[in-house]
Amino acid sequence: MVTTAPILMDTRPVAPASTFRPTTTTPAAAGPGAQAAPAETLIDIDHVDFFYGATQALHDVSLRIENRKVTAFIGPSGCGKSTLLRCLNRMNDLIDGTRIAKGSIRIRGVDIHQHDVDVIELRKQVGMVFQKSNPFPKSIYENITYGLRLQGVNNKARLDEVVEKSLRGAALWDEVKDRLDASGLGLSGGQQQRLCIARAIAVEPEVILMDEPCSALDPVATAKVEELIQELRTRFTIVIVTHNMQQAARCSDKTAFFYMGKLIEYADTRDIFTKPANAQTEAYVSGRFG
Amino acid sequence: MEATRANPHFLVNRSRVRLFGLSFDDCIRVFFGGNAVVSIIVLGLITFFLFREGSGFFGQNRQNLIVYRQAGLEYVDFIRAQQDDHTALTRYLSDLRLRQFTYATEHAPMSVAAANASLARFDDFAGQFGDTVEPLRTLVSDLTEQASAIKTKFTVMEDKKEERRQLLDEGRAGDAAKVVITPVDFAAELKPILGTLPAYRAASAEFAQGLERVLATAPTLPTPELQARMDRFKLHTRDYLAGFPAVTTQLEAWDYTKPVPASQAFTSFIFGREWLTASFWQDWYGVIPLVVGSLMVSLVALLLAVPLGVGAAVYVNQIATPAEQKFIKPCIEFISAIPSVVLGFFGIAILGQALRALSQVSWLSWVPGFPYSERLNILTAGCLLALIAVPTIFTLAEDALNNVPRAFKEASFALGATRLQTVIKIIVPASLSGIISAVLLGLGRVIGETMVVLLCAGNRIAIPDFTAGLAVITQPVHTMTGIIAQEMGEVVQGSIHYRALFVVGMLLFFLSLGINYVAQRIVRRYRISIG
Amino acid sequence: MSTPTPSHVFQANLTPARRRESLIFGLFGGATYLVLLCGALVFGTIIFKGAGTVFQAKAPFINTSFLLDAPESLHVFQFEGKKMELGDRAFRLFQAEHPEVAKLKQESYIYSAGGIFPCIVGTLLLVVGSMTIALTLGVSAAIYLNEYARDGMFIRFIRLAILNLAGVPSIVFGLFGFGMFVIFFGWNVSLIAGWFTLAFMVLPVVITASEESLKAVPKGFREGSLALGATKWQTIRKNVLPYALPGILTSSILGIARVAGETAPIMFTAAYVVRDKLPWQVDKFSDFFFQGVMALPYHIYVVSSKIPQNEYTERVQYGTAFVFLVLVAMIATTSIILRNHLRNRYKW
Repeated sequence: MVTTAPILMDTRPVAPASTFRPTTTTPAAAGPGAQAAPAETLIDIDHVDFFYGATQALHDVSLRIENRKVTAFIGPSGCGKSTLLRCLNRMNDLIDGTRIAKGSIRIRGVDIHQHDVDVIELRKQVGMVFQKSNPFPKSIYENITYGLRLQGVNNKARLDEVVEKSLRGAALWDEVKDRLDASGLGLSGGQQQRLCIARAIAVEPEVILMDEPCSALDPVATAKVEELIQELRTRFTIVIVTHNMQQAARCSDKTAFFYMGKLIEYADTRDIFTKPANAQTEAYVSGRFG
Repeated sequence: MEATRANPHFLVNRSRVRLFGLSFDDCIRVFFGGNAVVSIIVLGLITFFLFREGSGFFGQNRQNLIVYRQAGLEYVDFIRAQQDDHTALTRYLSDLRLRQFTYATEHAPMSVAAANASLARFDDFAGQFGDTVEPLRTLVSDLTEQASAIKTKFTVMEDKKEERRQLLDEGRAGDAAKVVITPVDFAAELKPILGTLPAYRAASAEFAQGLERVLATAPTLPTPELQARMDRFKLHTRDYLAGFPAVTTQLEAWDYTKPVPASQAFTSFIFGREWLTASFWQDWYGVIPLVVGSLMVSLVALLLAVPLGVGAAVYVNQIATPAEQKFIKPCIEFISAIPSVVLGFFGIAILGQALRALSQVSWLSWVPGFPYSERLNILTAGCLLALIAVPTIFTLAEDALNNVPRAFKEASFALGATRLQTVIKIIVPASLSGIISAVLLGLGRVIGETMVVLLCAGNRIAIPDFTAGLAVITQPVHTMTGIIAQEMGEVVQGSIHYRALFVVGMLLFFLSLGINYVAQRIVRRYRISIG
Repeated sequence: MSTPTPSHVFQANLTPARRRESLIFGLFGGATYLVLLCGALVFGTIIFKGAGTVFQAKAPFINTSFLLDAPESLHVFQFEGKKMELGDRAFRLFQAEHPEVAKLKQESYIYSAGGIFPCIVGTLLLVVGSMTIALTLGVSAAIYLNEYARDGMFIRFIRLAILNLAGVPSIVFGLFGFGMFVIFFGWNVSLIAGWFTLAFMVLPVVITASEESLKAVPKGFREGSLALGATKWQTIRKNVLPYALPGILTSSILGIARVAGETAPIMFTAAYVVRDKLPWQVDKFSDFFFQGVMALPYHIYVVSSKIPQNEYTERVQYGTAFVFLVLVAMIATTSIILRNHLRNRYKW
C-alpha cells in the first residue's frame, strides 16, 4: 500500500515550510512557539470507507490531523477531499443515503459517529467555512453573535466583546467597525468570506474546516484570507480543502493528496512539493494532470 | 465518558431532554410530519365520506326499481310509451303546419286569416289524428291511478315498518306492537291491472284502425318539399303501427316477480337518460343528462378558451415586449381572481341578455341556433367559463413555453428561420405536452366549476336535442355541479335523492382525479423527453 | 407585381411570408387583448353599476347604511300620487302613521333594501378562521416536505395527494364538509364547519406556495447555521423561516382571495340565506363557533337567483357584487404588488 508509508512519517516533528510562505507571514504565526510544540494528534481518521448511496466516495482512508496545525487536502475534482472534510463535522448527515461503512473518525479519542454523540455539540467544536461565502442576511453584528445566541449567551457586553475579538481575529475589524449594523450581504466577496470565518471563530471551536474558502475570490482577497489562516493557526486546528496547489504550499503545514477516493500521500507540505514519495503525487503537484 | 472528562473542552456527549425517547427536535419533526400527512388524510376522508353518504344509493335505487316493477308501474309505462310516441307524431304534424303557414304567408302572399283558412283541411286531418289515441289514453289514466295506489300502499307499509323500528329502538315495544303493518300482496293487487290486457288489446286495435283510417285522408301538400315531409310522416306512422304487436307481446310477457339484477341499480344510474325527482309517479336517477350538460358547457368553454389562452401565452412568451409582459401577466392573474359567483351574476344580469340580443340581430341569423329565446343556456355559461379557464391555461402554457431551452430558439434563428417559423415549428411542438396538460387542467377547472353553471346554464334537466346540430349550444342544460348545489339544500338526509347527489359528487371527484392524473402523466413524459 | 430590385443582399423586404407572420402575430396579440378586454368589461360593468349603490353624491360620499345595515325587504307602493320605496323598518313606521297604507296595492322585494353588513362580517370571519387553519397546517407541511423529508415512497405519496387535492372541484369539498363536519361531527351549518372545509380546500395552494418560498432560501443559510452548532429547528426558526415568511404570506394571499371568493363549499356548510343576529350576539362563547353566518358570495347567489331583476332589486345586486369584487380585487392586488416588491428585494 502506498498510503502506509506517508502515515508512518507523520509522527516526526515538523518544521513549517517557511520557504513556501508569502513574505507577508506574520512573526506570530511563524514564530518559534509553533515550531517547538510537539505534534499531538487531534483527529484520528482510521480506515474510513464512505458511501453516497451505492457509490463509494472514500476508500480505506487513514490519517491523523495534528493539533494546532494547518492541514491541506489537495487533489483533482471528485477525489473525495471535500467528502472527508464534511465527515469531520458530520455535515454529510444532511445528505440522503450517506454512510460510513467501515472505520471510524475520532476527535480527541471520541468516535464522532458513535450513537451517543450529539452532532450539535460536535459542530460547535468543529466549525466550518464554505466554498461560497454564506453570510446570513442579517447585520454583521448579528452574523457574528448568531452562534453564541444559539448557546443562550445574551449578555450584551460579552457579545460586544466577542464581536470585536472575532472580527479582529478575522482581520476585518478595521474595515467594518463603523457599520456593524449594516447587512453582511453588503460586504465585498473577500470581506464576506472573512466575516464567515469570524462567525466561525466566535464560538471558539477546536477545529475550523475550510472547504475551498478562496475559490470564489480574487487574488487580493485570497491573499488576505491566506494571511488570516496563518494568524489563526496558533489558536485553532485548521483543515483546508483547496484546488490551488500554491495555496496549499503557502499556508499549510501538512498536505494530504487524494485521488479517486484514496489517500495517496500524506506528509509535510514541504516534502510533498519537493520530494513526493509517490509518482502520482509528483505528477499532480508538478501540474501534469488534475 | 472518559475521553470527555480528559478533555473538558470537548464535550460531545451532552445528553438532551427527551420525551418518550424523542428529543425536542424529533418532536418538532414529528409535528411537521404529521401536518404533511394531513393532505393524505384529507384526500382519504373525502373519498371515505363521499362513499359513506353515497354508497347506500345503489341499494336504495335497486329497491326503487323493484317497487317500480312490483307495483305495476313498469307495466303501465309500456302503454304510456306507446301513447308518448303518438304525441311525438302529433308534434311532427304541428311542425308541418307551421311550415305550411310560413310558406303560405311568405311565398304565396296571403293574409293570416286566409292562410289559416287554407290550412283548414290539414287542421281537420291533424285533429282527427290526435283523437285516435283516445281509447288508449283512457286506459292509461285508469291504470296510472291503480298502479299509484299500489305504490302508495307499499310506501305506507315501509313507513310503518320504519316507525315500528324507531319505537323498538326507543325501547317502546308496546307501542311498536300497536303499529299495524299490512303487507302488500302484489299478486292480488296487480290482478285488476293485468286483467286489463283484453281491454288493451281492444283499445289498441281500435287505435290502429283509427290511425289507418285517418292516414288515408291525409291531404296533399302544395310543394314537393312539404309533400316529402308529409310522406315521411306517413312512413313514421306506419313504423309506429308496426310496433304495436311488440307492445302487446311485452305486456303479455311481463312478470312482476322477475328479479331486478343488482347491476341494474348501477347501470340505470350511469346510463340513465332521465333525472326525475320528487315525481308523483316514479323517480329516475340517470346521470346522463347531467354529464352531457357538464361536457357540453365545458366543450364550449374550452373551444373559446384554448385558442385565447394558448394564443395569449405564445404572444406574451414569444412576441410581447417586456413592458407588455409586465402589464399582461398581472392582469390575467387578476382575471383569475374574479370570484365565479360574480361572473355568474354578470351572466344573469348582462351577458345572457346581451347574447340573446346579439342573436336577434337579423344579419347574424345565419349563425346556427340564432336567434334564440332562452337567455340562460350552454353558450352563456360556456362564455363565462372560458373566462375562468383562460387564466389557468395561460399560466400553465406560458410555463411550458418558458421551459423550452433557449438554445432551441437560437439554433432555429441561426438557420435563418423567421420568428413565426420558430414559434410554430420549434417552440410550440417542444412544449406541446405541457400545453396539452394545461388544457386538461383547464378542463378540470371548468368541469368542477359550480356557481357559473348553476346561475347561467339554464338548469333544464334534459339531454339537449342534438338533432338541432350546432344550434344545440343555445339550449339550456343542467350540470353535475349545478345539480348538487341546487338540490342538496332541499333533500331529506339519508333519502335516495340525497345519496344520489353524493354519488354524483363521487363521479365528479373521480373524474377530476382522472383528468389530473392524465395531465400529470403527460407532463412527466414531456420532462423526460426534454431532458 | 414585380418586387423592386434590392440594393444589397440583406435588404429588408415585405415578402408574403413576413406579411403572414405579422398577421398571425397580430392574431395572437388580438387574443391576448380580447381576454383582457373581457376581464375589463366584467370589472367595468359591475364597478360602474355598483358604484351608484356604494357611493353617494353628498358627504360622507360612501353609502354607510348599505355597508353597515342588515338586509331588509323593500316595499314599493303609490301613496298620494307619489311613488314610495321603503325598507322594512321605515315601512312599519310609515304604516303606523298611515294605517290606510295596508290596503294599498304594494309590491315587496326581499333583501332589496338595507345593507350587507352581516355578509361582510361573515365573509371576514370565514376568511380569518380558515386561513389560520390552512396556514398552520400548510406551512408546517411545507416545512416538513422541504426541510425534513427525505425522498421516498411516503413523500412521493404525500406529494401526489397534494397535487390531486388541488384538482378536486370546490363543490366536492362542499359535499365532503357537509358529510363530515355538518352530519358526522354534528356541527350543523356553522362557522367552524365552513372554516375546516375552506381550509382543506386551499391547503394545496398554501403548501405549494410555502414550499416554493422555502426553496428560495439558499442552502448556504442552512449549512452555515448548522455548522455553527445550531439544531435543525434553531436553523429553521432563525435562519430559514424569517426569510421565507414574506414569500409564504404573499403567495398565501392568493389563497385568501380563493377562500373569500368560493361559494360552493360554504353553501351547505356555513352559509345562511338570512340571519338576524350578528355573529357576536351569542349567548355563550362556544356558540360562536357553531353558528351559521351570512356571506358575501352566497348573498350574491341568493340575490341574483332568488329575486327578480328589476330597477328595485338592481341596487342591492350590483352593490353587493361591487363590494365583493372590490374586496377580492384588493386582496389580489396586494398579493401581486407585494410579490413583485419581494422579487426585487430578496436577491441572494
